[in-house]
Amino acid sequence: MKLALKLLVRDWRGGELTLLLAALIIAVGTVTTITLFVDRLQQALLMESASFIAADRVISASRPIEPALLARADEYGLQRSATVSFLSMVFSDERAQLAAVKAVDDGYPLRGKLIVADEPFGTGRPAQKGPQPGSVWMESRLFPSLDTRPGASVDVGALTLPIADVLLKEPDRGGGFDTVAPRVIMHLSDVDRTEIIQPGSRVTYRYLFSGEEGRLKAWEASVRPDLPEDTRLYGVKEGAEEIGEALSKAERFLLLGGLLGVILAGVAIALAANRYAYRHFDHVAILKTLGATPARIDQIYLVIFIGLGLAATLIGAGLGLLVQAGVAEVLRPLLPVALPAPTMKPVLLGLTTGMVCLLSFALPPLLTLRNADPVRVIRRDLDTASPSSLLAYGFGGLGTFGLMWWYSQDLRLTILLFIGGLVAVVVLGLLALLLVRSGRQVGLQAGSAWRLAVAGLQRRQLESALQILAFGLALMLLLTLFLVRTSLLSEWRNQIPADAPNHFAMNILPEERGEIRAFLDGAKVTVTPEYPMIRGRITELNGVPVAELKRDGGGDRGAPRLSSTRNLTATATLPEDNKILSGTWFSPTSLVSEVSVEAEFAKSNGLMLGDMLVFEIEGRALAAEVTSVRSVAWDNLQPNFYLIFSPQMLIDFPSTFMTSFFLDPDQKSVLSPLLRAFPTMTVLEVDALIEQIRTIVAQVTLAVEFMLVLILMSGAMVLLASIQASLDERMKQFVILRTLGASNQLVRTSLAMEFAVLGAFAGLLAALGAELTVYGLEREIFDLDYSPTPWLWALGPILGAGLISVIGMLATRRVLDQSPVAVLRGLA
Amino acid sequence: MIKTNNVSKVVETSEGRLVILEGITLEINQGESVAVVGASGSGKTTLLSLLAGLDSPSDGKIVLGGEQDITVMNEAQRAKLRGEMVGFVFQTFQLLSSLSALENVMLPGELRGDPQAEHNAKKLLDRVGLGHRLQHYPRQLSGGEQQRVAIARAFASNPKILFADEPTGNLDAKTGAKIIDLLFELNADFGTTLVLVTHDARLAARCERSILIDAGLLVSEAVDVSAAIA
Repeated sequence: MKLALKLLVRDWRGGELTLLLAALIIAVGTVTTITLFVDRLQQALLMESASFIAADRVISASRPIEPALLARADEYGLQRSATVSFLSMVFSDERAQLAAVKAVDDGYPLRGKLIVADEPFGTGRPAQKGPQPGSVWMESRLFPSLDTRPGASVDVGALTLPIADVLLKEPDRGGGFDTVAPRVIMHLSDVDRTEIIQPGSRVTYRYLFSGEEGRLKAWEASVRPDLPEDTRLYGVKEGAEEIGEALSKAERFLLLGGLLGVILAGVAIALAANRYAYRHFDHVAILKTLGATPARIDQIYLVIFIGLGLAATLIGAGLGLLVQAGVAEVLRPLLPVALPAPTMKPVLLGLTTGMVCLLSFALPPLLTLRNADPVRVIRRDLDTASPSSLLAYGFGGLGTFGLMWWYSQDLRLTILLFIGGLVAVVVLGLLALLLVRSGRQVGLQAGSAWRLAVAGLQRRQLESALQILAFGLALMLLLTLFLVRTSLLSEWRNQIPADAPNHFAMNILPEERGEIRAFLDGAKVTVTPEYPMIRGRITELNGVPVAELKRDGGGDRGAPRLSSTRNLTATATLPEDNKILSGTWFSPTSLVSEVSVEAEFAKSNGLMLGDMLVFEIEGRALAAEVTSVRSVAWDNLQPNFYLIFSPQMLIDFPSTFMTSFFLDPDQKSVLSPLLRAFPTMTVLEVDALIEQIRTIVAQVTLAVEFMLVLILMSGAMVLLASIQASLDERMKQFVILRTLGASNQLVRTSLAMEFAVLGAFAGLLAALGAELTVYGLEREIFDLDYSPTPWLWALGPILGAGLISVIGMLATRRVLDQSPVAVLRGLA
Repeated sequence: MIKTNNVSKVVETSEGRLVILEGITLEINQGESVAVVGASGSGKTTLLSLLAGLDSPSDGKIVLGGEQDITVMNEAQRAKLRGEMVGFVFQTFQLLSSLSALENVMLPGELRGDPQAEHNAKKLLDRVGLGHRLQHYPRQLSGGEQQRVAIARAFASNPKILFADEPTGNLDAKTGAKIIDLLFELNADFGTTLVLVTHDARLAARCERSILIDAGLLVSEAVDVSAAIA
């Protein structure tokens, strides 16, 4: 033990440990930084996103939930709040309007903010909680419809309440079109006195909960089994379709980045540990001649390993903590929200990751030291065994798999990446060997430095191939991450284009269509084509009444139900962002009764092409055949429909129309005269929601970019470690050349060429590997549309050659300036 | 002290079986100094590595210290035996580059857990004339100095047998002569059995007896060493 520690200290003093320690510290540091920063960003994102449902979790029910069940949240230290929503007519002195009333308690909202103004469409200010008992807030558009103003009173059921403020924004308003009626908010304690809620009334009770994620999960597990049948418990990802998808993808990307970070760190450690072990083979042989037994060697290097591991993980974790704090500080002005304080969990995660990385990547090469043959001290040529062995690869593979699984909590992603990685290693390794061998014809044509470089590569065929593989893998991971990131960002950018409609007009009467269009044209507002819209529900499927179908189609709880009343439309053109998955879209002149069904709706209700559906619309039955199944981009904030009829089908029905348009903030004043002129029309403002989504997407983008930078740093570390690992052999060769009279210029040029050739080959392999990996990832994991990237094939080799020769020349510069004797002594 | 019986060493190469040593039977007595001589590639270095237990023979028996048959031992047992009985001096010195002169000489004692390791090492380095360069690293020492450190380290374990493989091979004649003087001086003081592989006729002549190896065979006790290795 004492001897081992002494050897550790002496090795450190002698500079033998510098590279290994640096690789370890950077590996642990990077992983800790990534985990910590991502954790903080995720916390922030989740909090910001939670504002979409005004809570972390929501229980939504059509009947009140038992207080005892709700009180269980208190045991878990959660905060709670409750809202009750219903539709009701609201009356001013002159007019009446159907409004979506929401009654809230003093705790509402748990997440996000209410924004109110003094005047309709005025400048907003945040409010800490909802209206006081005995007053209401109303949405801007209700004022022109009711022809009233703030300070006046409205009747809600049996109660007359003064309008205290104008509601501009509520966090959980959402973008759904089921709640198109304008909003009135009142206090929960006033609801009974309105006498609106009677047995049989359609009321939605929402119970909001917030707290620390771990407690929420525990509470969720405890309460879920006891919830009544028709209730829904959801978090932000299920509750807010507009951002849920973006959040999930971002999370998967950060996870993927973290995984790649771990792998890169592992490779760097493995390379550095291999070099350390290689350089210590002779040391061990000497120790053995002096009487050290294999067990003693194990013991010595185990202590060195533990000492090294402890030092590296502690320093690395500390460094990670500092770096992420620095990064968070630098990014503070760019971040739209404050980052919550880091928790200890990621630090522990970083420490554990470091230790597991060490165990699986650094320990195996060190343990093979026990096999160093003592006869090496006399006959070095007899034993040139490399410290790598099957055991080492097995250990490394197992460790990598374990870490990936633990990190991602996703066996499918892990297996996909792991097998992909294995195949890549084998195929790319063979290709690398082929490339090295095929260089011969090329090499003979060129000048002297070039010949020297190629000869060098070919003499060390296996080592060169391994190096190309290591460089290639590192570059491949970096390119993969870069490509996936680019696809994700462009998808998010396209999700809501800058001029996407941010207002929707509904309940447009057929006879008002022309007038409204003229009004908006006059105000220089571009309007999209109108859709007819009517409410209706499915009553029969293939002749069987829906009520008799088992469990309403057998879908998941929360999935769209077959029997619910829905907004229906009819159109000849397939809406943008919809894609036909099976069947065919209506011909423009179709006179047949056809219906196109959204894919999720079809799946959860077991609908197939050719099924006959009977609808009940305005008390009349309408039959239609399912002729196509569509995918719908629910997060594009455009009017989206589960069910679309062929163009002629709704002509006989008294449907209203809807349309959408884009308003600049300074065009908002057009709304007041518009609503006054057409009081039956409903305008839904989603500009605030779009802004909210953009903020979140900006944050997610930042997180993704940051991850990329960190991984690039890890990648550079791998490249450096693998160049260092090959340095001894190269230096020996060049010292001999220098001794024989080769000019320093020749040596440098040849070395640069050697690195450039290695890099170019590695870049080529990286391009191939990245293209295939990105194809798999985008299709299987990220649900993105894959498109090939031809420029990658040019960029890969150029990037590889440039990067490797620059890092290589930097790493060897110092050595090349020394005298041959000094270099040889350093290598001894 | 050393006794071998019909020892041979055969290795498989890509061109078939290669016999390096065959039927070596010899005996070296305690305190004796013996030179192993022969042409390059004759197998003398292989013989040294077998006698010292650094390598295992393909056949035959090697007994050290009268009773220890090292051919039936595993690597751990042989390592233990080396630590207790054997010292080495190599042509390429084989010092640990990351350790200072003092630390290199302390190593055998430290491996045994000897609390006197440092004290003894200092004494030995003094004895070889390097008392003033204790903290120097191998790369800061000349070839002759490095070999003196190696000799001090060889005697640090108080060995019964000292194996030396071309100890002057990497040194100029003058330095080599000094090193040999030192080696024999210490050998006499410690009463060690010395087995020395060499090309150098003068060096071989300083040993009490010489063994000639030719093409893997023990030819005879060499009478005229210069002729044998010419």
